[in-house]
Amino acid sequence: MTTIVLLTLLYLQISPPKDVRVFDTPNDAGGSITITWESSPDAEGYRILRMALPDSVYTPVDWVDAATKRYVDKVEDGVKYRYIIRTERGSAYADSEPTDEVWSHGNVFHRGRTNVLIGVAVYTTLLLSFIYFAKRGKKLFVRKIAGLDAVDEAIGRATEMGKPVLYIPGLSTISDVATLASLNILGRIARKAAVHGTRVIVPNRNPIVMPVCQEIVREACLDVGRPDVYREDDIFYITFSQFGYTAAVDGIMLREKPAANFFLGMFWAESLILAETGASTGAIQIAGTDAIHQLPFFITACDYTLIGEELYAASAYLSREPLSLGSLKGQDWTKLIIGGLIVAGVILVSFGSDWFLGLFSS
Amino acid sequence: MFETIGIWIAALLTLCIFSFLYKDNPFYKFAEHLFIGVSAGYWACYYYHNVLQPNLFVPLFQEGRPIFIIPLVLGIMMLLHLVPKISWISRWPLAFIVGTYAGYYLITYLQTNALEQVTATLVPLVTFSSVVLFVGVTTGLVYFFFSKEHKGTFGGIAKFGIWFLMIAFGASFGYTVMARISLLIGRMTFLLKDWLHIIQ
Amino acid sequence: MSIVDRLKTIDRRIIFVAISLAVIIPLLFPIGLPIMVSPPAQGLYDAIEELKPGSKVLLSFDYDPSTMPEVYPMNLGVVRHCFSKNIKLVGMGLWPTGVLLGQEAFELLAEEYGKTYGEDYINLGFKAGGIVVISAMAENIPETFPEDYAGTSIEEFPIMKGVKNFDSFGLAVCFSAGDPGVREWVMIAHSRYGKKVGAGITAVMAPAYYPYLQAGQLVGLLGGMKGAAEYETLLKYKGTGSAGMDAQSIAHSLIIVFIIFGNVIYFIARRKERKKV
Repeated sequence: MTTIVLLTLLYLQISPPKDVRVFDTPNDAGGSITITWESSPDAEGYRILRMALPDSVYTPVDWVDAATKRYVDKVEDGVKYRYIIRTERGSAYADSEPTDEVWSHGNVFHRGRTNVLIGVAVYTTLLLSFIYFAKRGKKLFVRKIAGLDAVDEAIGRATEMGKPVLYIPGLSTISDVATLASLNILGRIARKAAVHGTRVIVPNRNPIVMPVCQEIVREACLDVGRPDVYREDDIFYITFSQFGYTAAVDGIMLREKPAANFFLGMFWAESLILAETGASTGAIQIAGTDAIHQLPFFITACDYTLIGEELYAASAYLSREPLSLGSLKGQDWTKLIIGGLIVAGVILVSFGSDWFLGLFSS
Repeated sequence: MFETIGIWIAALLTLCIFSFLYKDNPFYKFAEHLFIGVSAGYWACYYYHNVLQPNLFVPLFQEGRPIFIIPLVLGIMMLLHLVPKISWISRWPLAFIVGTYAGYYLITYLQTNALEQVTATLVPLVTFSSVVLFVGVTTGLVYFFFSKEHKGTFGGIAKFGIWFLMIAFGASFGYTVMARISLLIGRMTFLLKDWLHIIQ
Repeated sequence: MSIVDRLKTIDRRIIFVAISLAVIIPLLFPIGLPIMVSPPAQGLYDAIEELKPGSKVLLSFDYDPSTMPEVYPMNLGVVRHCFSKNIKLVGMGLWPTGVLLGQEAFELLAEEYGKTYGEDYINLGFKAGGIVVISAMAENIPETFPEDYAGTSIEEFPIMKGVKNFDSFGLAVCFSAGDPGVREWVMIAHSRYGKKVGAGITAVMAPAYYPYLQAGQLVGLLGGMKGAAEYETLLKYKGTGSAGMDAQSIAHSLIIVFIIFGNVIYFIARRKERKKV
C-alpha cells in the first residue's frame, strides 16, 4: 500500500515552468503585461495567478493550454503586480517562483519598427517634396508610356463606328490604388468620348466605386460642354459576385459590341475571361493592372497593356495632376534608393558582411 | 431526393454555361441572368447577416453600446449618395475608409512586401539563381523608373528588365492554364461522376 | 485561301473540343502518370510531420465553390494528414463560403478517423474584416470568436480550453483563392508574431507567392490541383487531386502542341507578308 502511495506521489510530482519572465508589453498603448515561460514537460496546462500589490493573495486570472508559452494579461496602468505560473496536471500542480514586481505603461514609439519609420519618413518626404514642386509649377519629367496613344485611337475608332466604349474600372474597392489610378484615366477617356459624343459604358462590381464613376463621367461631360452626352444609366452596378459580374460583362461585350474595351484597375481570375471575350468581338483592347499574375493574360489578349506601375504612371501622365505626378516622382526616387540599397547590400553580403541585413529586420 | 434534384440543376446549368463556347444563346443568357440574380441576392443577405447585424445592429441595439452610433451615422452618410442634392455628404465616410485603410496597410505592407522582400534579395552572388535574382530585381526596377527616357544604356537595361518580366509572366501564364484546366477537370468530374455516375 | 491562312483563322471551337476530349478521355480511362513531389509541397508536409500528436493546427478556409476543384483537395489532404497524426484542428474563415467547405471536409474525414467535434476539431466560422480579424486573433482568440460556426459558445468545447492566441498552434495553414487570404496571414501571423504559416492556393495565385516562400515567410505552398496531387502522393492515397493529374498532363501537352503550332503558323505567315512587301 505504501509503495502504491509513494509511486502515485512520484507520478504526481510535476515540475513548475522554468525561466518565468514578466515585463510591460513593449511597444503597446499600455494596459498589458506579458508573461513568458519555458514549458514544463509535465504540463496539461498552466494557470496564471496574479497579485496586485499591496494585496498579499494571488488570484487566478486564466488557464492556458500546454502549448502556450506567452500570456498577455490586461491590467491597470501604474499598478504593481506579481505573477505565479502554475503547471497543472489533473489535480497535481507546481508553482513557479513569484515574479518580480511589474507595472504597465503605454509607449509612444514602437522601437521594433524604427526601420519602417525611417522608410516611411524618407518616402513621405520625397513624396511631399515632389508634390510641393509640382504644385509650384515645376516641370516634372515623366517618360511617355507606350500604349497611351492607343487610347485616342480607340475612342476615335468607336466614334467612327458609332459604337460605345466599354470601361471596366477593375473589381476592387475604392481604397485600392489601382482603382484610384483607373478613375483618373476614366476622367480623361470620358472627356475624349464626350467631345465626340461617344457613349461610355461603365459596369461596376463595387457599389462604392459606382457613384464615383458616375461623378467622374458627369464632370467630364460638363467640362467639355456636352452635358447632353451623359447617361447615368450607362454607369451601373451589376453584382458583387466576381464571376456573376464577369458573366454580365461578357454578355455586354457580345450584345453591345463596343468598339473599344478598357480594362484598367485591379483584376483577379476573371481577367482572362474578360480579355478573351473582348478579343473575340474584335474590339481594340487596352488593359492595365498592378495584379502581377493577371498581366500575362492581358498581354496576350489585349492590344496594349500597362504593366504594374505603368498604370499609375499613365494616370499621372494623362492627368498631369500635381498630386499624382508628385507621387510618381516620389515613388521613382524611392525605387532608386531601394535599388541602391540592394546593390550595396548584395556586394556587402557577398563579401561576408551580414550587419547590413539587420537594417531590414524588425 | 433533394440532393439528386440539386445535382440535376447544377449539371443542367453547367451545360447551359458551356453552351457559350459554341455561341451566345438563350440557354447561356438564362444561366447568366440567374447567376447574377442569385449572387446579388446572396451577397445582400450575406452583408446583412455577417456584416451589418453582428458588427452594427447587435452591438448598438441589443448590447446598447453607444460608440456604435458613429458607424451607423457614417453608414447613413454613405447612403445619402442616393439623394443627388446632398450626395456630397457621402464623400466624408468614403474619405474615412480610404484614410483608415491606407494608414493600416502602409506599415504592414512596407514591412512584409518591402523590407522582408529586400532582405530576401540580399543574397551572396555565389550561385546562378542568386545572380538571376539580383539581375532580375535591379533591371526590373530600372524598367519601372519613369523619370528617364528609355534610351541608350539605360534603355538597354530596362529592356533586359522587361525580358525578365516577360519570362515571369510566361511562368504565371503556365500556372493559370493549369488552374483553368483544373476547373474544367472539376466540372467534368462532377458531370461524369456525380451526375452521370460513369466514373467512380 | 492558302493552308496557312486557313489555319490562321481556324474555328476556335475545334480547339475547345480538342481540350474537352483531352480532359474527358483520361478521366474515363486513367493512365496513372507519375506525380513528382516539389519542395514547396514537401515543406508543408514536413511542417505538419514535425508536430507532436495532440498539438493544434489553425486552418483558415478562404476560398469559395468556384475554386473548389483546386483548393478543396488540398484542404482534404491537410485535414487527413492532421487527423492521421492525431493533431487537433481549429478551422475558421475570412471568406463566408469557405467555412462551409471546410466544415464539409471536417465532417467527411472525422467519420473516417473517428474524430469528435469540439474535442478533435472545431469550426469557428466566418468573421468579416480580413487582416483585422487576424490581428485580433493574435491578441485574443476567444474574444474574436466567442462562438463556433453554429453559434455555440466556444467555452463548451474542450479543444478550445486554454487557447488564447497563436501560441496554442504549431502551424497556421491558409487555403486561399484570393484576398483576404495568404498575404494577410503572412503579414500578421508570420511577420508580426513569428508563427509558421503554410498555404494551399489556386494555381493562378502561385507565382505571386513564391517570393514569400523564398523569403522563408511560408513553410510550404501547395499550388493548384498539382499541389493537391503532390500532397496526396506524400500521404500515399489517391484523391481527386491525383485523379485529375492524367487529364491535366494530357491537356497541358496538347496546349504545348497548340502553342508551337500557332507560333509556327504565325512566323510562316509573317515571312510570307514580308516577301510580299
